[in-house]
Amino acid sequence: MSSRGVIVRGRDLLADVSLEVDAVVVGTGAGGSIAARELARAGLSVVALEEGGHHAAADFTQREDEMLPILFADGGGRTTKDLAIRVLQGRGVGGSTVHNTNLCKRTPDAILELWRQRYNVSGCSPSDMRAAFEQIEKDLSVSEIPAALRNPNNDVLHKGALALGWKAGPLKHNRVGCQTSGFCEVGCAYDAKQNALKVVVPQAMEAGANVYADVEVVRVNHTRGRVTGVSAVARSESGAPVAWVDVRSKIVVLAASAVGSALLAKKSGITDPHDQIGKKLRMHPGAVVAGRFDRVMNSNYGIPQSYECTEHLDFEEGSDKRVWIVPAFAHPIGTASMLPGFGASHMKAMRSYGQLAVLTAMVHDETEGRVEVGEGERPLITYDMTESDRRQLAKGLIACARLLFAGGAVEVTIPAIPPVTLTSASQLDTLSTDFVRPHGVPLTAVHPMGTMRMGDDPKTSVVSSTGEHHFVRGLFVADGSLFPTSLGGPPQISIYSFAHHLAPHAIARAKS
Amino acid sequence: MLAPWQLVVFEHIAARIAASDDPNDKSIPSAYDVDVAGFVDRYCVGMHALLRRDLLRLLGFMEHMAPLAIGKTSRFTHLVDADQDRVLAWMESNDQGLMRGAFASIKALVFMGYYRDPRTWKMLGYAGPFVKRPVGGWQ
Repeated sequence: MSSRGVIVRGRDLLADVSLEVDAVVVGTGAGGSIAARELARAGLSVVALEEGGHHAAADFTQREDEMLPILFADGGGRTTKDLAIRVLQGRGVGGSTVHNTNLCKRTPDAILELWRQRYNVSGCSPSDMRAAFEQIEKDLSVSEIPAALRNPNNDVLHKGALALGWKAGPLKHNRVGCQTSGFCEVGCAYDAKQNALKVVVPQAMEAGANVYADVEVVRVNHTRGRVTGVSAVARSESGAPVAWVDVRSKIVVLAASAVGSALLAKKSGITDPHDQIGKKLRMHPGAVVAGRFDRVMNSNYGIPQSYECTEHLDFEEGSDKRVWIVPAFAHPIGTASMLPGFGASHMKAMRSYGQLAVLTAMVHDETEGRVEVGEGERPLITYDMTESDRRQLAKGLIACARLLFAGGAVEVTIPAIPPVTLTSASQLDTLSTDFVRPHGVPLTAVHPMGTMRMGDDPKTSVVSSTGEHHFVRGLFVADGSLFPTSLGGPPQISIYSFAHHLAPHAIARAKS
Repeated sequence: MLAPWQLVVFEHIAARIAASDDPNDKSIPSAYDVDVAGFVDRYCVGMHALLRRDLLRLLGFMEHMAPLAIGKTSRFTHLVDADQDRVLAWMESNDQGLMRGAFASIKALVFMGYYRDPRTWKMLGYAGPFVKRPVGGWQ
């Protein structure tokens, strides 16, 4: 049996490092942690490399200004090329599972069927995936949030949906021992998140995997259609390079997100005869609507996002119902960035902070964005929302406003430029939605997917249904890049589960 | 990371973006009181060099070029408050998406610097973190 693995902080390295292992995993979020665990449990020597730092519960100060730079790529300032969409992605051991709000939904059966029928994905039907979903939900202690723990913001959504007769319901989360502080998105100071950082990375280390934090992989090395390892650089806290890390391996698993994995593949010159890598980026772009109530709500406390509205969501391709609605309250810095305007009018709006409830409409998108290598080898994300997706977003924002009014709001604001402020639901009947144009409403995307799609046709996909690259042997993908379409819901369970489901193929390749 | 002139430009921008709705209420700290510009200066240290470069270019643009949009030839920092607001409003509602995006980025930085300070939380009814910072910091 392997000895227990360790976490090495790249910032502490005093000299260059050269390693030889069976498998190297790039990224330690949902997909990377599972891949590392399964490979290590199969008796393979494994090293996982993580660009961000290693932080524990005691490091999470519940302050936005201190946590955003640590837990998010580009300090939370990553955007699309045109600055129209803020793209929030995690960095650090545990990846986005450290800052997410713990939503757990399986990949919908309709989506899995769509991938099978239209995108040549084999071996991943609902029945094929069931065991992986069950295993992951068990690993992460997934359970439904009871109504008694529903905070005021979520209760508004519940009451609004009930009043309108809309389809809605409670969500499942992976949290145990939650103190309901409401600081989930800046890391859990109470270690209640059953995420990659707390659960899966330690399991991978228990099985022998070593984890290097602060180490950015800059190249996947390959020759004659086979991977040979990766080249990486360890960085100090300020980002200065401190050492080179060179890893030779038979297997490379990319799990650095749909942005990071595609960027790395493109930088590395991975064979791409059909120009597929980095294309068809989906990311659930969303915008918020704020409702002001005539009472104190304190929406920042309690469990966020424990309830959803799916009235305007189904999973048929080309459907006219492609909006997922959940609460989206934030702490002061996030709220201030979201509220429209500046100066005196903005501060006046901020004084209502304690009386606000906020909902977000995320589009189950069909827009095909792309990830390219930009200046300084940074990701260049292009995403020009289609008219169809724009209509969905407009529909979603109107629906959020209706839900807020039905839930008791006395005033509703859509933070467009200029802002749209309404005092009754009847005003929505004649509301022009021209504000839903590029830069017309602040958009945020937290679920990048699809840039290294799986499928059995090399002309329309990057990796096969086993997760292995069509043309580069030993190169696997185990993150949201795999998904041929948008999911229409939170991706973490899908990412964990696909990494789990596909891991045996990587193990078999390593042992072949 | 910011040059002295860039700090001054940011101070002026922050003063208008986080301007109070009640100038007579002395309990509300100004952007200067909470040192928004100093915070952004420190924040820039951890920023990717290319993002930092873009921010510094934007500050130069706002100081020297943006006032022309409202027919003023003087620097942003030499404008009266109302004209500075007009420049910012021009950026916020600009036909060019990139300009609106740039404004949104500056606004986000200002509010990160402003609402990070516990002195601003009282007016929001926000209690701040539940976990207490040890005396002398976390390290």
